[in-house]
Amino acid sequence: MGYALRRLGFYLFAAIASITLNFLLPRLMPGDPASAMFARFQGQMQPEAMVALRESFGLNESSLLAQYGSYLKHVLTGDLGRSIAYYPTPVSEVIGTGLVWTLALTGVAVVLSFALGSLLGVLAAWRRSGWIDSVLPPLFAFIGAFPYFWLAMLALFVLGFQLGWFPLRHAYSYDIEPAFTAAFVADAAYHAVLPATTIVLATIGGWVLGMRNNMISVMGSDYITMARAKGLTPRRVMLRYAARNALLPGVTSFGMALGFVLSGSLLSEIVFSYPGMGYLLVQAVRGQDYPLMQGLFLMITLSVLAANWLVDLAYAWLDPRTSSNE
Amino acid sequence: MRRWSAILGAIALGGVAGCPAEQPPVPDGVLSVSVEQTSAWVRNFNPLLPAGSARWPTRHGIYEPMMIFNGVTGRWVPWLALRSSWSDDLRVLRFDLRPGVSWSDGAPFTADDVVFTFELLRKQRLFDGNGVWGFLESVRALGAHSVELRFSRVFVPGFDSVALQPIVPKHIWEGVPDPMTFTNPVPVGTGPFTEVRVFRNQVYELGPNPHYWQPGKPGLKGLRFLAFPSNDQANLALIEGSVDWGGNFVPAIERTYVDRAPEDNHYWFPLFGSTVFLYPNTAREPFGDPRVRKALGMAIDRNKVVEVAMYGYTRPADSTGLSDAFSSWRNPEAASRDWVTFDVARANALLDEAGLPRGEDGVRRTASGKPLRFDIQVVSGWSDWVRAGQVIARGLSDVGVDAKLRLYDMGAWIDHLQRGDFDMAVSWSGEGSTPYRFYKWMMSTELVLPLGEPAPTNWHRFGDARATELLRAFERTNEPAEQHRIMGELQARFAETAPAIPLFPSPMWGAYSTHQFEGFPSAEAPYAKLTPNAGEESLLVLVELKPKGTAATPGAGEK
Repeated sequence: MGYALRRLGFYLFAAIASITLNFLLPRLMPGDPASAMFARFQGQMQPEAMVALRESFGLNESSLLAQYGSYLKHVLTGDLGRSIAYYPTPVSEVIGTGLVWTLALTGVAVVLSFALGSLLGVLAAWRRSGWIDSVLPPLFAFIGAFPYFWLAMLALFVLGFQLGWFPLRHAYSYDIEPAFTAAFVADAAYHAVLPATTIVLATIGGWVLGMRNNMISVMGSDYITMARAKGLTPRRVMLRYAARNALLPGVTSFGMALGFVLSGSLLSEIVFSYPGMGYLLVQAVRGQDYPLMQGLFLMITLSVLAANWLVDLAYAWLDPRTSSNE
Repeated sequence: MRRWSAILGAIALGGVAGCPAEQPPVPDGVLSVSVEQTSAWVRNFNPLLPAGSARWPTRHGIYEPMMIFNGVTGRWVPWLALRSSWSDDLRVLRFDLRPGVSWSDGAPFTADDVVFTFELLRKQRLFDGNGVWGFLESVRALGAHSVELRFSRVFVPGFDSVALQPIVPKHIWEGVPDPMTFTNPVPVGTGPFTEVRVFRNQVYELGPNPHYWQPGKPGLKGLRFLAFPSNDQANLALIEGSVDWGGNFVPAIERTYVDRAPEDNHYWFPLFGSTVFLYPNTAREPFGDPRVRKALGMAIDRNKVVEVAMYGYTRPADSTGLSDAFSSWRNPEAASRDWVTFDVARANALLDEAGLPRGEDGVRRTASGKPLRFDIQVVSGWSDWVRAGQVIARGLSDVGVDAKLRLYDMGAWIDHLQRGDFDMAVSWSGEGSTPYRFYKWMMSTELVLPLGEPAPTNWHRFGDARATELLRAFERTNEPAEQHRIMGELQARFAETAPAIPLFPSPMWGAYSTHQFEGFPSAEAPYAKLTPNAGEESLLVLVELKPKGTAATPGAGEK
């Protein structure tokens, strides 16, 4: 328990540091939200409007320190402010348009990719030079080497446009009301197949290869030989002895990947017109939308920290030596 | 692997059972429009916020102005007002409102609504994007159907901003505690489409106004907006039939769109957009010298720019810099100056004359011996401008000017432009119902700011005393003949001084399918701009569109 608390202290410190960086980084970019908005409307907006915009967004008067003060207050009270690019909609509402879909699509894809990839890695290492070992890792490395954008476009064009097997866009059909009904869930799952599959295909290679290599080194250990000598079933040796230990480095990367789920997957969102956080993030940066950037970065950093904390805990469980290491 | 494919199969099957593969929309009289690009819609129908904050129909379907400028015919179309008149001293502008107009909740539209709207603009600076209270003194109602706007100074071009102001209902908005942060989720307007039937993150739909003032209109059963995060997705939907009317750039449209269904698929890309310019920073050496600017103008092969950068969708600009939106104002004499004609030999001669001899390496030097090496700043990702910049840079090297293309993110680029922190940059120019704003941006001394201070326009820091006088004279007359005379002189002044280097007028993208709907404007029936990016003008189109085969209804709107 002491271990968990100690780590928590560290994460608290990391959170404070990143919250401050969150505030500073967007403001170090050249330009400001008003000129970005003006630029977006290519001369359709009157020059006078820019002055008014600056005034209304409070960009002129308050000092950086005063802005930081009100920012901290807002963070503590959970108020993320109003977006500028989507003015006057509150940041929380803007993020709300994509959050669930990112969690569903990117989250599921990351978990699937990790679980499937690790399992295949275990199998590949267990039967070295078997068909799984000789075909899958090179195949996935090959697919993973394609630019994701290209892979996704190809999938959309062939499977969606040419063959018509999958929808061309969106997370659900336009004429169906989102609700927890079988019809809607089936519709949403059907829409998620192409984006999720392409993400899994593009990322699975790393997991397979990593797990396979860890397994191979673990399988050379004495305790595996010991377990075999004791006459345990190969299945038990593979999963409970070898895989559990080989999984440790993978868990760290998985924690990172899980933490970054909230940053969305921009390219899949764009290719498949899927709502999500990646697009919002880009819009926020493009529009120099400080409040939206802060809100998004805050959620991402906090989720990365939370995921890392969970990984620490998982580590302690998978490998009891970690927590007793004073 | 087997397990994986089993899962995939199950998901796919479940999906197929739940909903048979997506069909193109069933014909239901609802027009699918693609204008704004986003991955998820945010509900906002507040027409007073700066352009782009509210969803597209807010100013193009829900709320209406007193008059609409038709950029194709060049005439003002009476809308919520029947007519307007200036007092003799041009200090008072009066609008007579159309009787019998009601808001979508049934309440009558009156002069009080107009007065209330302008008062909101006065209280809230953010709403007054056009700066109308910079020239207005007071707005008052004369009875139920007339409004009188008193100007604090004579400023005839102010008519545009006033006439085009979307009007909001007093009886709703007076109860809104903070109009500035009001997203107006359930709008009440006078326009043809006011009823929000569906609003979700990927789609929203508007139904017709039950109390619309034009009898028998609108003909459409509604408008549908699907969310597309980028051009590619919007174009795919257009090609595949999920979008009936789009305002996106479509590459090679004849082949990709028209040829797929020549009977139904059409486009019209008239050159009514703003002219794209190469802006030299005249506050930096040697661009203060008009001979240098003219030489740059001659060193650019505009035909190639148009071909390479714009797929031949436009034409080279002339020496007035005016796009086709201002055809009726064009002064043919000023338009035929030769500094926009590609001529390397003459460009070289002119640069020699300006005292910029070539060095050993072929690059010219200023009098102080500084080589002419410059950056051309362009927004990264705006591929048409990037290609144009490449052609220009190559052309300049032939006349001994070593220009390099520098790509910046949009925010940084506009920041550099405004502070005058650039040598040369590619950018757009001013628009409006007359070329007044265009030439004001280009040449007015009033808008020239020192380097380092952010200038909303006139980034190239050019001011001409004579042009400024002419612009002031233009502000003080509403006589068409006099206006044309002044504008003709301004064009001559522009052609003479070459404040910036015109490249090409921008096309306004518009494509439509007549598979289910008819009544779109086109090159054959140019009653208004086709593009949905045409501001209030799109109202002129929305009331004319109808499902195919419906009987024509007599319209009250077009006069």
